[in-house]
Amino acid sequence: MQNTSWVPFFPEQASTVAGMVDALYFYLILVSVAFSIPVVVGIFVFAIKYRAKEKFATPEEIHGSMVLESVWSFIPFVVSMTIFVGGALVYFYQYTMPENAMEIYVVGKQWMWKAQHGTGQREINELHIPVNTPIKLTMATEDVLHDFDIPAFRTKADVVPGRYTYLWFNATKPGKYHLYCAEYCGLNHSGMGGWVYVMERRDFDNWLAGNASGQTPVEIGKDLFEAKLSCASCHAGGPQQRGAKLEGLYGSTVKLVGGGTVTADDDYIRNSIINPAGQVVEGYQPIMPSFKGQVTEEQLTALVAYVKSLTPNAASAPAAPAASGGPAQMPAANAAAAPKGGK
Amino acid sequence: MQASDAISTGYGSAKGNYLTNGSTLASWLLTKDHKRIAIMYLVTVSMFFMMGGLYAAAIRLELLTPASDLLETGTYNRVFTQHGILMIFFFLIPSIPAILGNFMLPLMIGAKDLAMPRINLLSLYIYWAGGLLTLYALMQGGVDTGWTFYTPYSTTFSNSYVMAVGLGIFINGFSSILTGLNFIVTIHTMRAPGMTWFRLPLFVWAHYATSLVMILGTPVIAITVLLVAIERTVKVGIFDPAIGGDPILFQHLFWFYSHPAVYIMILPGMGVVSELISNFSRKKIFGYEFIAFSSIAIAVFGFLVWGHHMFVSGQSVYAGLVFSFLTMVVAVPSAIKMFNWTATLYKGSITFDTPMLYAFGFMGLFLIGGLTGLFLGSVGLTVHLTDTYFVVAHFHYVMVGGQVIAYLGGIHYWWPKMTGRMYSEFWGKISAMLVFVGFNLTFFPQFILGYQGMPRRYAAYPEELQVLNIFSTAGASVLGVGLVMPVVYLTHSLVFGAKAADNPWMLPGLEWRTSSPPPTENFDVMPVVTWEAYEFGEENGLDLEAARRSDVVTA
Amino acid sequence: MSDNHEQHDHMNIPKYVGVFLVLVVGTILTYYAALVDMDSIFPGANTLVALLIAFTKMAVVMLFFMHVYWSKRLIWLSAIGSFFWLAIMFAFTLQDYLTRSEGVFGR
Repeated sequence: MQNTSWVPFFPEQASTVAGMVDALYFYLILVSVAFSIPVVVGIFVFAIKYRAKEKFATPEEIHGSMVLESVWSFIPFVVSMTIFVGGALVYFYQYTMPENAMEIYVVGKQWMWKAQHGTGQREINELHIPVNTPIKLTMATEDVLHDFDIPAFRTKADVVPGRYTYLWFNATKPGKYHLYCAEYCGLNHSGMGGWVYVMERRDFDNWLAGNASGQTPVEIGKDLFEAKLSCASCHAGGPQQRGAKLEGLYGSTVKLVGGGTVTADDDYIRNSIINPAGQVVEGYQPIMPSFKGQVTEEQLTALVAYVKSLTPNAASAPAAPAASGGPAQMPAANAAAAPKGGK
Repeated sequence: MQASDAISTGYGSAKGNYLTNGSTLASWLLTKDHKRIAIMYLVTVSMFFMMGGLYAAAIRLELLTPASDLLETGTYNRVFTQHGILMIFFFLIPSIPAILGNFMLPLMIGAKDLAMPRINLLSLYIYWAGGLLTLYALMQGGVDTGWTFYTPYSTTFSNSYVMAVGLGIFINGFSSILTGLNFIVTIHTMRAPGMTWFRLPLFVWAHYATSLVMILGTPVIAITVLLVAIERTVKVGIFDPAIGGDPILFQHLFWFYSHPAVYIMILPGMGVVSELISNFSRKKIFGYEFIAFSSIAIAVFGFLVWGHHMFVSGQSVYAGLVFSFLTMVVAVPSAIKMFNWTATLYKGSITFDTPMLYAFGFMGLFLIGGLTGLFLGSVGLTVHLTDTYFVVAHFHYVMVGGQVIAYLGGIHYWWPKMTGRMYSEFWGKISAMLVFVGFNLTFFPQFILGYQGMPRRYAAYPEELQVLNIFSTAGASVLGVGLVMPVVYLTHSLVFGAKAADNPWMLPGLEWRTSSPPPTENFDVMPVVTWEAYEFGEENGLDLEAARRSDVVTA
Repeated sequence: MSDNHEQHDHMNIPKYVGVFLVLVVGTILTYYAALVDMDSIFPGANTLVALLIAFTKMAVVMLFFMHVYWSKRLIWLSAIGSFFWLAIMFAFTLQDYLTRSEGVFGR
């Protein structure tokens, strides 16, 4: 990674958000300097000017000043509010998922990053992406917490067991950038990382073509659904259908047994496979067995991708939002609700 | 020296003192004297500090080169975890309250002892028990979860001694709770006649605020550690999603304590610095009420901001914004303190004794530590900065640059009172300056490393980051020398130091109005306070004229 | 301290036994309440009943066993203050959980 920045020891700006984060950073440096100058100058001037000239002197007493106290409470408050607002705006931008982004599935496990493109290409500890294209990562982890971190893009998000988290960015400069795991994950934490390659569109297409794609996530999911896991025996249409209808499900609002509704998003589909009794759809019996332990996170993402593909225009359905946190139902709530559904 | 008796305005006796009152082991181990308990804390806490320091040295040596060569990654993980656990739970949290607070608080308010002397001894034994258990776990092979014990790694995946260390922290927590409880009761019930709330030294106010946090926060970490233990042993799903838990719930519970714990560490430091700045510029502290109440405000608002440790953890965006907003609000009381300390210097009569050098060092380092806190409270920026060396540098500026510097300043300030001996002022100044320079050289480069994206807890890092890491390690060696020196010259002073006067700096605080070292009962006569805090004139009964004429040892 | 004398006047052995009995009865009640399906009335009813019993037990322990009932206002204040802190912990944790599905400002 050659450094083209004019500031020494400064990381490269390679995404749309990087400039905003850096602007905030420089604003804060400015505030810090402006705040430090009166204090530091005050300390030095007073320390020299009022150094003791007589042993055990008794200088005149000054009790304080309400005016000064008000001023130096109010000004820092106002300044800190500007910092808050600036931070909030950037944060809002960082975690509002763009529509029609190119989706890539990422699974973290001790101690590697596995990525799979929508067209089927798989990578480990590398990520090839086209420049000037919004990329949305749907991330899961096989084991502990991880954190997908690309400093040149100035963004990161934890990957949390038991749910999906999301990260998006739009790279602005072709190049090779560090990819780290930023959340401590055990023995080889510092080895869990690699490179992000940002490529011109044409180079990226060549790269895609040059890598045998195998099956796409949707195809893998379809294969699992119809053959390996026999989901279709209940969920396929027809008179024998015992499981909920999946066509057109994604993004819709589902009514649950016992009242309450839930939006059918990635996390909902994932949870319904892992813990089917947690949220039973109204009108169905809680008879689906749990597939926990039988499917890997990668197979799960493929299944989710397949179920999504059953809904036309799924990509533009609910913009999966939240700070790296999807519209997640908390897993604990699922667990608490489980016995009810199961009985 | 002979003059000192003449000018001591004292309530103390020149006869026996608390050190000579019994010399058997039992007279120490079964003592109810807050001063002896404080000394025993001093010895133990210093040992933990040295152990934590050795771990720090190992970390910096490993990071001298980009590859994980000196320590393999598994060892490195244990080393930084144990550095954190020893420094935070067994050094930073007990240091100022249990040593300086324990020793000085009763003296400063004119009491014979803490309100519950037996509870005070019990808290020392609990601290020892927790510490021994933790040491045992470290001997067995230690723990590799990071001091934060994030789940599900700590509950399901780690094969290290999580349970033993967790139990050590659990037990140690009760020591903190009891100390806090003791301080609050003491401040409420044991003040000398005339010692009204607004005549209390700011050190006492700071300890009141700290005690509140200890009592309200510590039970939560105890519960959290217990829940981790339950999940590890009987597999009840609380934090691990594989068995129906939620890992982010752990982070909420953990930081509900561990963020306020930062204030347990820094508030007493602020109290010490308020004392030093006022006393060594012989000037009434500027805005007494504002400093006192800003301590309380920090203690209360400090409980509302824990989510700023979790901006990228998967908590909701809304929660992130609320926590960011409150974090900005809690910055204001710290700014108020900073301005008030600076204003106190105005028109003072400033001397540059060793404790005051530490106070200046504190102001400079805490300024940087506090301002970089704003960077990390601004949520959009923190997405980039969190889990990098920027965070590491920030909290070392607050914890070491703030708390440890204040602690060293306090130790030097009260050393003559605690031991009756003067240390070498020359070596004191040298070491204070070495600590300041070494500290900045160690941790300032880490801000830059952090902005470049170097993640925390990495045993190996990319080669382009080596230059700044070398600076950091070089600085750490200077810092190390600066920190070892006080151990040497302070120990030396115990035997060879000049005898300290009762009030070497002619200060108005009650602790200076008894003999050095104080008698077991603290004051022979019950003191009656007729003066406001921080009055340096004749009205508080000090014979300054005599002191100026005498050849009293003034350090 | 003068408080000690007062405390002995307020509580005696039969009263301590009474507190103990309340706790035992509460525990048994909790067990049987868990066996009845009250969630069919409204979701969470079982939890609510269990919490109510627990809260009653806690109140008896605090007020009588720990003498708060006969204590000074300052003690009342600190007892109630601790609940305020508990409320902070729950409220600020829930503000995360309850708003996760809102996404970025409800989008």
